[in-house]
Amino acid sequence: MAQSGKGKLNYRCPSCFMRDLDIDMFYDKDKDEFYCMRCQYTGNEKDVLEKNEMIRFRYRAMDKRITKFDFD
Amino acid sequence: MDKFVVNIIHRPEMVPEYAEKVTGHGKAEDIGRKALLTESLDIFKTQQRLAHENGLKTTIQMTYASLFNEEAVALAKEHHEKYGDEIALSLLGLPCKEFREKYNTKDFCIWMFSMEDKKSIVDDVFGKFHDMFGFYPESTGSYYLDADLTNYIKEKYPSVKCAVATCWEEGPKAYHTCNNSWYTLFDGGPWNPWIPSKQNTHAPAANEQEDSGIVAIPHLSRDLLACYDGNGSNFGTHPQNVLRGMIYDSETWEYPYLYNLIDQYRDLEKYNNGYSYNMMFVGPGWMNKMGRWEAPYELLEKSYSDGCAYYGKLKKEGKLIDMTMAEFADYYREKKSYTEPECALWRDILYGSDKQLFWYCDPYMRACVNMDQGGAIVDLRPYAAKLEWPVGIGTKHVQDASYPFLIQEKYRAGYFTHYAGEGTVRSAKLSYNGEEVDLCLCRTKAHFSQEGNARILTLDPVEIEFYDLTVKLQTKIYFEEGSSNIKIERNILEMSNPEAEVQLNEYMVACYGTTEYPEDMTGIILKCEGAGEQEISYEYKCREAELAGADAVSAVIPAIETKVSMTGSDKAAVGYVKEGYAFSPMFTLGYTKTISDKEVFATWLNLEKAN
Repeated sequence: MAQSGKGKLNYRCPSCFMRDLDIDMFYDKDKDEFYCMRCQYTGNEKDVLEKNEMIRFRYRAMDKRITKFDFD
Repeated sequence: MDKFVVNIIHRPEMVPEYAEKVTGHGKAEDIGRKALLTESLDIFKTQQRLAHENGLKTTIQMTYASLFNEEAVALAKEHHEKYGDEIALSLLGLPCKEFREKYNTKDFCIWMFSMEDKKSIVDDVFGKFHDMFGFYPESTGSYYLDADLTNYIKEKYPSVKCAVATCWEEGPKAYHTCNNSWYTLFDGGPWNPWIPSKQNTHAPAANEQEDSGIVAIPHLSRDLLACYDGNGSNFGTHPQNVLRGMIYDSETWEYPYLYNLIDQYRDLEKYNNGYSYNMMFVGPGWMNKMGRWEAPYELLEKSYSDGCAYYGKLKKEGKLIDMTMAEFADYYREKKSYTEPECALWRDILYGSDKQLFWYCDPYMRACVNMDQGGAIVDLRPYAAKLEWPVGIGTKHVQDASYPFLIQEKYRAGYFTHYAGEGTVRSAKLSYNGEEVDLCLCRTKAHFSQEGNARILTLDPVEIEFYDLTVKLQTKIYFEEGSSNIKIERNILEMSNPEAEVQLNEYMVACYGTTEYPEDMTGIILKCEGAGEQEISYEYKCREAELAGADAVSAVIPAIETKVSMTGSDKAAVGYVKEGYAFSPMFTLGYTKTISDKEVFATWLNLEKAN
């Protein structure tokens, strides 16, 4: 088994991102999966992208343009 | 004077932070490789182009490495002539072949070097700058500049009048986000420009004697709610930080949050006599051709282009004034007095919660009031102590440059604790017939006003429901300029039974520290001051003392040379102090008083230097 490297883009671990950790993932080409060195997350690119969408659940106002900033 | 001032800063960083480690994965380290140098300069050129295309002038902060690059020097001169850009000098971007060979270290953060090395590096970098341009710069900076370093720079190079001197709430949270490997620990400073004191960069100068001689600007304008809890590097006027936070639509590549953030900063002029401020400073590592994490180069470039375009649009509409750092320093000196505070009534613009915070900063304190907790003070930095806190190799704080807190709700629990003990917060409790309610559980909103020298927060009234009594209470919080205190007034507007009497407990749970972990509380002196004074020297023994009609209840914390006290408006109140214990390493100061309908009771939280 050859050493792991990085993919085309440098994906972070979605599971760690959820707990405010930016952890680069490495790519295992034999298994076609990214894996996190810190936690136990593994997933292919499709799964990473899906989880990255899930991450945004907390940004409920992310798509909203806000023009009023007080409650007066 | 109604102005939204923007500083846009670029640095030709020949070996960008991140670029070597991230894009160079799989290659042996070589910070002199030509491809890296060429790409770095190309990024700088792109950033400059995007600003100029949108009619914005910049401050070019030359790095040490770029001073060895003829093209970078020539570009700076050309853009100064053509666009009015300022040629300044950054103490970021030290790493390069020449630096490594001369100083035999991989350290790159100026505040972490020994004082001897700081002086030597500053002289080296400023000298090289003078060699290349024939003058000394008016602006400089880093992610953090410690007071000793600033004082040295100002003394040796008096032309310097402006510096990037801290990054708001970049501390343990940033360290944690970076897998405990990014040692920028400097929580506790101002979020908007200020005049640093000679004693401590974070603490603004109270007068000319304390004036360090520079105007400091923060590295980026950061979200005053999101950065306080989450990773600060996701929520600032740094377009790629917004991408880092994944705060964009992955299909359309739109990020309204960036514009909301800029606009909320613009809105702060309401609280600051018509002045508001923004700073954008993106290092070239964030725009490298390999992309950054999941964001491809095209998105990185788009976000910076959009950021410049938005500032440019505001300028065209007459809503923005772009200045160089040196121009801004002159403007700021003219506009602000030493004691004029910086105020920010800040609303959640990302999570959809409507949560509201109020941040206050002056030469005596930085405080945060949380309206989601009934107007409790959830962060407090006692700048009144002007704590001398040398940092760097050879000092007690090699990396930790944070200004210590007395209250920090995220690091020391705040209202909510697990099972036992208490967390740091300044709030009040009401008790009636064996029931107790903390105002921390009464969510509300605040309105800002200014009367004379006082900035006033008036909170919407809240209702406290006991089994057979409802109390309608309004809180007003006064920050009087130059007073070094916070007055909190509780006004009983209505009781369902006008004859009822309720016990009010005004309290402050505090400790000290700069991180999540407890410090040694031994030797803190707690006092009920007045006739019959009582004193407890902290030994984790869970003791309590009280004094009817106390003049003050106080704590002296020798480790941070701070005295904090509470005083009350009515001698009928009973002052008390509480020592903590090992599982709750806190102290409590407070007053209890029986109150009835239509009554008003005020307390003051006072901060002093104690040494």
